[in-house]
Amino acid sequence: MIQKAFILNDADIERILKRISHEILERNRGSKNLCFIGIQKRGVPLAQRIAKNIRALEGIEADIGKLDITFYRDDYAKRVKPKVGVTDISFGIDERDIILVDDVLFTGRTIRAALDALIDFGRPKSIQLVVLIDRGHRELPIRADYVGKNIPTALSESIEVCLSETDGQDSVSILESGKGRGQQLL
Amino acid sequence: MDDKGFLYNEKHLEFKNLVIKNARIICPGPIPEIQADIEIENGIIKSMVSDLPIGDIAQYSPIHGNEKIKTNNRRVLIDAKGMVVCPSFMDMHVHLREPGNEDEEDIESGITAALHGGITSICCMPNTKPPVDNQYLVKYILQASVKKGFKVYPVAAMTKKLEGAELTEFGLLKECGAAAFSDDGFCVQDAKLMYEIMRYAKQFDVLLILHEEDYNFSKSGIMHEGYFSAKLGLEGISSLSETVMVARDIMLAKKTKARIHFTHVSSMDCLELIRMAKEDGVSVTCDVTPHHLCFDDECLEHYGTNFKVNPPLRSKEDREALAEALNSGVIDAIASDHAPHIEYEKNTTLKEAAFGVTGMETLFAATYSELVINRKFSFQKYLSFLAQAPYKILGLKSPEIKPGNTAEFVILDLKKENLISRDFFFSKSLNSPFIGQKLTGEVMCTINNGKIGYLKI
Amino acid sequence: MLSVKNVIDIADLSVDDINLILENADTFNEVLERDLKKVPALRGKTILNLFFESSTRTRISFELAAKRLNADLINFTASSSSMKKGESIIDTIKTIQSMIVDLLIVRHSDSGVMDFISRNTGLPIINAGDGKHQHPTQALLDLYTIKKAFGDFKGLKVSIVGDIINSRVARSDMLLFKKMGMDVTLVSSSMLLPENLDYFGVNVRNNIDDIIETADVIYMLRMQLERQERKYYPSINEYNRFLSLDFKRLQSMKEGAIVMHPGPVNRGTEISEAVMNSEDTMKQKIKINEQVRNGVAARMALIYLILTTG
Repeated sequence: MIQKAFILNDADIERILKRISHEILERNRGSKNLCFIGIQKRGVPLAQRIAKNIRALEGIEADIGKLDITFYRDDYAKRVKPKVGVTDISFGIDERDIILVDDVLFTGRTIRAALDALIDFGRPKSIQLVVLIDRGHRELPIRADYVGKNIPTALSESIEVCLSETDGQDSVSILESGKGRGQQLL
Repeated sequence: MDDKGFLYNEKHLEFKNLVIKNARIICPGPIPEIQADIEIENGIIKSMVSDLPIGDIAQYSPIHGNEKIKTNNRRVLIDAKGMVVCPSFMDMHVHLREPGNEDEEDIESGITAALHGGITSICCMPNTKPPVDNQYLVKYILQASVKKGFKVYPVAAMTKKLEGAELTEFGLLKECGAAAFSDDGFCVQDAKLMYEIMRYAKQFDVLLILHEEDYNFSKSGIMHEGYFSAKLGLEGISSLSETVMVARDIMLAKKTKARIHFTHVSSMDCLELIRMAKEDGVSVTCDVTPHHLCFDDECLEHYGTNFKVNPPLRSKEDREALAEALNSGVIDAIASDHAPHIEYEKNTTLKEAAFGVTGMETLFAATYSELVINRKFSFQKYLSFLAQAPYKILGLKSPEIKPGNTAEFVILDLKKENLISRDFFFSKSLNSPFIGQKLTGEVMCTINNGKIGYLKI
Repeated sequence: MLSVKNVIDIADLSVDDINLILENADTFNEVLERDLKKVPALRGKTILNLFFESSTRTRISFELAAKRLNADLINFTASSSSMKKGESIIDTIKTIQSMIVDLLIVRHSDSGVMDFISRNTGLPIINAGDGKHQHPTQALLDLYTIKKAFGDFKGLKVSIVGDIINSRVARSDMLLFKKMGMDVTLVSSSMLLPENLDYFGVNVRNNIDDIIETADVIYMLRMQLERQERKYYPSINEYNRFLSLDFKRLQSMKEGAIVMHPGPVNRGTEISEAVMNSEDTMKQKIKINEQVRNGVAARMALIYLILTTG
């Protein structure tokens, strides 16, 4: 595994999340009906950070949930399974505006699974998608509402997102050979 | 059957003279071995001398391409160099299944299997369908076996239909040829009835062969009650099932002075009872099966139905005690309890599967491997369990290899190792626990009634 | 991933396997709390519930577990006695094999049948109870119930009380509990105990009062009257005196200790009416209904792990 390029550092990520927080508030005209759901596992800290930004900006405590989509995948038999994470959505999602958060948008299959999972929890008013990185190569008609950074990649490359909550530091890099950790998790 | 190298039908090999060259003759008991050529004429041993002149060797042509056997139609020569010649064996516990279950075995296939196993005399048990509890069936078995030139000794039932309720016609049955009496497969539960059976047996001086089992202990049991039955969650058959009946019948035999023989003894405790009874002068003998000597209850760990037998394979300690009891003379003989079963009766779950295994064909190799190779029994002592004791228990003369006698012996290869496969067997049934086992020793030739009964080619 | 493909004997599972199953049971427990108690994890998989022995609770529990994972489940019920009459087990198995299913859940009165079916089909099998041998999924749900009550297993004092000899639950439980580091005591009478306990390595007492104050878990067994061919135990009165859980005994249990039972309870035999009807703090000790609920989560975990292994 060779690190090909260093894309974002901690300050970059902070700046991006602040910008996305503003965009969310702008698009939704405030935060009253918003709730944040992070996809396990790096979507979870990202969702928490955005919710924290919004609290700082609007002074409102938004609901935050965690979503594990393992059971909704369409390819569980073909892959080495990561450990099943916790799903924790302790609030009703009916008629809410859900901000769904993930680290990398790639084929779109994870988001497809996440949408199926969310629908099983109720009928939200809307679901909007936040991704830190959009690396292209979509296999399903899915797009993000808020994108931190578009990074065109080759299929042989992979994106590695590190967050201090899960990995001890904040960074985003491109790795050579399609066997990076980011690839495995997608 | 030729492709298996078997010559039972004498039409294949008609001869006037048979010569066994280079025979190393070993007999049971403390008799020195002899090195000789054996010449047989019209079935009778004519001479046993060293370096027998065999005439013009060029006249003998190899049969079936085997270098060791040569023939010129009327004269046959078998070279036994490197092998051992012994008196042939008797198996005093065989189920021939005829009449009633000829799909599993019949008298003819049973005889074939016996000859393959080096056996020239068998006792067949009466639990056929219908059971041998009448003169007609005793005579039928005798006639069928005489026709085949083979000695089958029918054992008649002790009780009608083997039901453990009413005595059979001991007197009449003995007169028409019943060699002994047994309810094998069943056990008379009623002690008073058993007492009357023994008194009546004493009156006619007949042997009782006893299968010992208290049904209250064995009912719905599948295997030995012990560590492994606990582990596998299978219903156990306690050793007490056998022991309490052995104890009862020793007491009854002591009182009635009947001759009794415990067949397929399996547990340690009953051996001690038998030892004390023998010391006490009770007329008691017993036999053990090859499978009880070679296997124990651990073998059932993978639910193999060919290890399901009654009495069950006991613990390791029991198995050790059985070998020790043979060595010390508490156990007199080895008998196979040859119990053929058709495939579907064994290709099922352990609980559903029938009890019993085939045993005549592996009788020699299995016990030779276990006792002589593994446990270092002397070969002559070992031979007595197969070629001497069974005859003695039945009150028969055991075959001797000497001039003037009908030729009746086996040629054994004591070094040959064989992996026992399903192809090994001539019996109609294949329910042998030895399939897949490597055994040492092989019967190369069985001479029965002066003729070649089996010859490995 | 599990180290085994079949769960026939609880002893075949490693400690890692067991912990993995318990972790997943927690995840599925969360699913069971949702409004929509279902995940599409096993969409397209077919599970055959093959019950040769009547059972309602276990069959339904497996059925629910399979359905909540979105697997298709079919029930095949054949009584062992009708099997004996005509259809041989090998023919039944050939029929099943032709149906092309992914997993078999089997209950049979004969231990060894699992092994036989597995050898003849090559399909993964979960033992849903085989004769007097084992009931591994019951043991797993029992373990999960204990985990939820205590968090950890090491050094917990567990007493299994009553009709041990006829109980496959007891066999599976003692093996599993021992494996997880618990201290297991059997409380029973001579005719209700198997003769060869050395395989299990457990302690034995004859009176429930010997353990009532010290046990963390008291596991009451169902008196299996239907499995007793001959009744050797003298009477219910005698049973109540030495082996039953009555209200006084419930009160003398230590703080935090729990009562379990595989169900259905014979009221008045192993557990008194008063215990079953108890309220408040005493009621909290009794985990019988929780066991049933945990059974679905534990079975979901096991089915999921088996069908996604390898």
